[in-house]
Amino acid sequence: MKKSFKNTFVLGCICAVVSVILAFTNALTAPIIEKNESEKANAALSEVLPSGKSFTKLDITGQKLPSTVKEAYRAENGGYVLKLSTTGYAPGMVLMCGISPDGTVAGTKLIASGETPSIGGVAAESFAEKVLGKDASGIDGVDTVGGATKTTAAYRSAVKDALNAAILLGGGDVDIRTEEEILRDNLSAALPSAGGEFEKLFITEDIAGVDDVYKAKNETGFVCVIGEQFIALDMNGEVLSDTTDEIASVARAAMQLLLSTQTTDLTLTDYVGLPTQLISAKVTATGNYIIEIKGIGYGILGGNDYHPASGEYIVIRVSMTADGRIIDCLTVSQGETNGIGSACANESFYGQFDGKTEANYGDIEAIGGATVTTNGYKQAILRAFESVKIFEKGANQ
Amino acid sequence: MKKNGNLSVLTKGIFKENPVFILILGTCPTLATTTNVVGAFGMGIAALVVLLCSNVLISMLRSVIPDGVRIPCYITIIAGFVTMVQMAVQAFFPALYEMLGVYLALIVVNCIILGRAEMFASKNSVGKSALDGIGMGLGFTLALCAMATVREVFGAASFAGIAIPFLADYKIEFLVKAPGGMLVYGLLIALVCALTNGKGPKKKEFTCAGCPSAGYCKTGACQSKKEEA
Repeated sequence: MKKSFKNTFVLGCICAVVSVILAFTNALTAPIIEKNESEKANAALSEVLPSGKSFTKLDITGQKLPSTVKEAYRAENGGYVLKLSTTGYAPGMVLMCGISPDGTVAGTKLIASGETPSIGGVAAESFAEKVLGKDASGIDGVDTVGGATKTTAAYRSAVKDALNAAILLGGGDVDIRTEEEILRDNLSAALPSAGGEFEKLFITEDIAGVDDVYKAKNETGFVCVIGEQFIALDMNGEVLSDTTDEIASVARAAMQLLLSTQTTDLTLTDYVGLPTQLISAKVTATGNYIIEIKGIGYGILGGNDYHPASGEYIVIRVSMTADGRIIDCLTVSQGETNGIGSACANESFYGQFDGKTEANYGDIEAIGGATVTTNGYKQAILRAFESVKIFEKGANQ
Repeated sequence: MKKNGNLSVLTKGIFKENPVFILILGTCPTLATTTNVVGAFGMGIAALVVLLCSNVLISMLRSVIPDGVRIPCYITIIAGFVTMVQMAVQAFFPALYEMLGVYLALIVVNCIILGRAEMFASKNSVGKSALDGIGMGLGFTLALCAMATVREVFGAASFAGIAIPFLADYKIEFLVKAPGGMLVYGLLIALVCALTNGKGPKKKEFTCAGCPSAGYCKTGACQSKKEEA
């Protein structure tokens, strides 16, 4: 008993003394260690903003900043460093971006990414040099690096976000909404009763002067986009927005035409020589055609170990006038490689066909890295033109 | 334990009883921190400081520390010194701290330090223990530096971070990797054996008296087992 008491006591004493000495050492070294650490962090920030001195981290919670901005630092002598997280070819692209006090890019550095090292990784490096010295308005003009469209596009938009964030943090005002958000805001402003929920109407009539028509999902009305103007109409086609008589009449006429549209299904077997990919065809009372056709893209033709073929066609709905001018075009469904060919479902792609004829439908911007998809799509459009010619000739001709 | 003069206590650690090449202690840091000379030297000095301080303190307390709890006491003292050294290195030599990483903290369980505490400091005077600590620490440092020199010069074509231009095209990068370290280690042990003509301490000199577990096991048990094998 006495022995074990002594053991415990001596060990306890040694522990206590050691603890006290360590506490003392820690008090002595902790501030120096902290200073070293912050200097190291500063050095990393200086790499993208060489002119910056003594950075302080900003509290950005609740601030109106682009969503990619994760951390923000302000240099004492002006300028910002932003840490941004975005998705390139793969998620998890993290980069640091230094913005000079004059609002130009001082330096960028990719600190983590899931990009293909030999393609996107290399592209990011060369792109990082291209954006140097660019400001918020010049950044859009920086060329994409070939073969790495998605990486460079993500990089560009992240750097743009950084530039905008620097303007916002500096007390300036800048529109950081995406195009989609701007459109939704504009539509909502025109027709508040829709509650922000709209769907784009597939146009089957030749409505000159009207670019797009959106329908409120809660059936409270329509919004016609005429140039820069957003004109709201009720479900009966009466103009609600305050606008000039001229524009109001254009919108009213377009809406009347759309609301009174009547279609007749065409019996495909009545016609000779129609493409086999044709799914269905309708004709409107005004003589326009609405065609659904299958496009043969990567989902049918492609397939390798990484991107297996889905076995699905690209289903395209296209409306065109009897003389072969596309009124509207829409991708109904597709099974292209996700993240690459699947871009054919984006309006930025199929919207390019609006107003095209057989003579110039090829003048569209291809989907980056998805030649098979683009070509399959174009071929389907060509077959739609051919189908309309056959329909115009009449049945059994 | 042989009667030793103070000078021989100091020098034996450097060559005759070199902890790395003769006693084969502290193999883990030897392999891990010898990819470059600066790291090896820093590691050696850090271990020397801890060894010196712990040897002195354990020798001072040798009559106070009860036999039953001596290992926990040694560990506490050694861990205390290691933590102090770690904080100091982190504060004043941050580059070295990053280079050594976790191996700095692992000095706590370095066999050399615990081994010297058990084998020497707990049985000898403060002065001799200090000399033993310095000798062993220098031996450790020299061994690490020798190994790091071979690995860095031939493996990375540089010495202490300074590039050696004419070797740049003939780098044996394998040497910087762990298996290369093992190979260099083995070759250096062979070299030291050849130089000492096998006169290093024989295995039988490490009898049960020098074994940390002696107090708990049947004395002589392991020795007879060895003979059977």
